[in-house]
Amino acid sequence: MTDRLDRWADPPLLVLASLADEPKHGYAITQDVAETMGVRLSAGTLYAVIARLEARGLIEPLESDDRRRPYRITMTGAEALAQQSERMSKVASVARERLSTRLGWAGA
Amino acid sequence: MTPARAALALYPPSWRARYGDEVLAYLDDSGGGPAAVASLAWRALPAWFWPPRHLHDRPARMRSSLGTALMSWSMLVGLGLVFAQLTQLQGLAPPGHPQIRWAYAVFDVTLAASALIAGLGGLPLWLLMLRRARREQRIRDMVYLFLPVLAPVAYLAGLVVTARMVGGASGVSQGWFGVVTLAGFAAAAAAAAGPGVALRRLQPGGPALRLAAAAAGVSAAVMAVAAVAIVVAVVSLNLWARQFAGYHDGALSGLYLALVVIAATVTTVSAARGTRAALAVSP
Repeated sequence: MTDRLDRWADPPLLVLASLADEPKHGYAITQDVAETMGVRLSAGTLYAVIARLEARGLIEPLESDDRRRPYRITMTGAEALAQQSERMSKVASVARERLSTRLGWAGA
Repeated sequence: MTPARAALALYPPSWRARYGDEVLAYLDDSGGGPAAVASLAWRALPAWFWPPRHLHDRPARMRSSLGTALMSWSMLVGLGLVFAQLTQLQGLAPPGHPQIRWAYAVFDVTLAASALIAGLGGLPLWLLMLRRARREQRIRDMVYLFLPVLAPVAYLAGLVVTARMVGGASGVSQGWFGVVTLAGFAAAAAAAAGPGVALRRLQPGGPALRLAAAAAGVSAAVMAVAAVAIVVAVVSLNLWARQFAGYHDGALSGLYLALVVIAATVTTVSAARGTRAALAVSP
């Protein structure tokens, strides 16, 4: 059950969230995800995710003079991220409210 | 070769061509420890089984699968003919074990059906390549394309000469049988390699390629049934036919069966990948 909850930290979602503000190359994405979301993405996972997101048209590569190719989120990717964020936000809101009522939890 | 490059080498060529440099730059930036290399190696497997759509070169996939499947199919046919020579043609069918006769019958039918399907399905592609090779006067490619005819004919001619020179009333000796068998596999490999090389050089596409890839899938599936029939017959003969057990020791039979299983697996997997590419809906 705990593993299932880890799906909130779904790597494609983390990468999309990282690219939501500005384009980044691979290493910058992992650094950003680690610093802001507390999740470490391995090299294998990162590039598997980049390949999958690119295939689905959710991110796109930008031209680059060196080997560090930056990626940016596409309009489709931004819409998918917004929808997922909205869904997560609703779940988080409900969870906070109910935990507060039942356990007096004041994490919010 | 560094560990990072070795891990990258595990990925499909199209994946490496697209992301290889980036991954190496990433590993340079991050320090690229053993954990990073291990994660890369681990993710190589799904990259083969589920290649990202934008990297999926379907015609290249079909050509590559056809080349591999043709080679392994030829080896499997060679192994099947050895089976027929050493069992069916020797009349090895112990009474009380009808599954051996059934296995012989299944083998005969499936081998013929598999060859027919492969031949009919591959003929339009072969003709397409031959027309192009003739039009562009590519003599070498024409030779490659005719190897499936030339190699068996040369082999059979050599076989007749050898049998006349060294054969007796009861056929050739065990040593010469081994030589003739190995030469047969070499001829089969040459016959299969010809169209495979022509596929790489001429890079045909279109409906003929899709038909050949789809036919290869069906042919491989039918040939897999022939391989099962071989396994059933050889295991049964080893268990219940003393004359067979005296003629072929168990270790040799085991090695033979292992080769049959390997050839059948490679044929089926390669053909299935090509067929999947042939049947895939364009994005």
